Amino acid sequence: MFDTALTSSDFLFLARGAGMTLLVTAISVVLGTCLGIACGIFRFQVGPWWAAPMTFLLDIFRSIPLLIQLVLVNAFLGMVLKLKISGFSVACGVLTLYTAAYCAEIVRGAIEAVPGTTRRAARSLGLTWWQDMTSIVLPLATRVALPSWIGLALGVMKDSALVYIVQVTELLKATQILITRLQEPLLLLMICGLFYFVISFPLARLGGYLERRWSND
Amino acid sequence: MKHWNALAAIAVAVACLSTPAHADKLDDIISSGTLRCAVVLDFPPMGSRDADNNPIGFDVDYCNDLAKALGVTAEIVETPFPERIPALMSGQVDVGVASTSDTLERAKTVGFSVPYFAFEMVVTASDKSGIKSFDDMKGKTVGATAGTFEAIALEKQVTEWGAGEFRPYQTQADVFLALSQGQLDATVSTSTVAQANVKTGNYPGIAVVGKAPFDIDYVALFTNRDEYGFINYLNLFVNQQVRTGRYAELFEKWVGGEVPSLTVPNAYR
Repeated sequence: MFDTALTSSDFLFLARGAGMTLLVTAISVVLGTCLGIACGIFRFQVGPWWAAPMTFLLDIFRSIPLLIQLVLVNAFLGMVLKLKISGFSVACGVLTLYTAAYCAEIVRGAIEAVPGTTRRAARSLGLTWWQDMTSIVLPLATRVALPSWIGLALGVMKDSALVYIVQVTELLKATQILITRLQEPLLLLMICGLFYFVISFPLARLGGYLERRWSND
Repeated sequence: MKHWNALAAIAVAVACLSTPAHADKLDDIISSGTLRCAVVLDFPPMGSRDADNNPIGFDVDYCNDLAKALGVTAEIVETPFPERIPALMSGQVDVGVASTSDTLERAKTVGFSVPYFAFEMVVTASDKSGIKSFDDMKGKTVGATAGTFEAIALEKQVTEWGAGEFRPYQTQADVFLALSQGQLDATVSTSTVAQANVKTGNYPGIAVVGKAPFDIDYVALFTNRDEYGFINYLNLFVNQQVRTGRYAELFEKWVGGEVPSLTVPNAYR
């Protein structure tokens, strides 16, 4: 069981894979969240009718499996548009849109959860729309959105394992490369799972901490 | 009138955008500065990874040579066997250097170069058996991995000889173990597999003794079938590799033994 051909350089290889997973996730979650907030607010402001085209577009990203999206986008950019875009950029782009699609729904739901009476009270006190959004809606909606958003971020991190299809060597792909060479699948997959746990656990705990801190009222 | 001019200008602009000045793949590769090769990396000694997980193998070196000839840098794109042609068709790679048999069925989809490598069948025998060639196997106990091409051919041959015994085994490792332990006198396998197993030193007392007269598996480089300029280049490149002795050098480095001929007797190409 502990007789293994795994060397320290292999660990470094796995760690680099984990770094790639973190980088792709961080870029996609940050950009996707910004885009998702913008889309969510737009959706809420203009109403479902006018936002229908955008909702439809985001629904496409939500309902087609990520693996298929990655393959199709990569093939479209490479074959039809003849663009030489790195797999890393494609992976970040697709994951960003995927995150944004989910985030938009979370944001819309959170804004709708802020009581209309509270917002009308704010506006009648003379607050502008912007002041209402930043001082009233933002603090209340964030509390509602946070648990779902943490879930989304963790989900995207695990879904990022699929970006191997566009030639990005992230954690799972690095593990597969080592499995092919060393033929020790169980040990390597355990280590890989441990890496994922080490990455996601702090984020999950941070979410739990913020939830407790913010719900004192 | 003004509107018509504007419309015409837009139409011309759209036409220009949709039909870019046509450069072929060879030009594209040279101007992009990278050659992306599909290589199978779980197929030693043609492609595998070293202790630092960098790609190594005959195909990896071959891709690097090709890139060097083109004056570009090589990018090894790890591609599993079934993904080789899809990877090319979806534009993820420029060329396949992936031990791909040049079947007529595949040639309907992709364009093959002339063969750049040949998997020959060789006889590996135990030293005690005294077997020195394929014909010496007559009347001896021989075996191979069940279900493989060489096992079927060998079993047929044993029946034809009417003497000796054929034993099928589950894995290639079992065959070499049986050979080393003296349960078998000889086996037939591809030269790469035979040399790799003999080289490991795990099976003492066995050696590759000669060729088996079975069908040779010729493998070729491939790219898009309409890229004649590039296919021409690949053909010349394969020829140059043989001419300059680089092919023999790479064969010695990764496989060892007698270098297989890449030409078919009594045939063009």
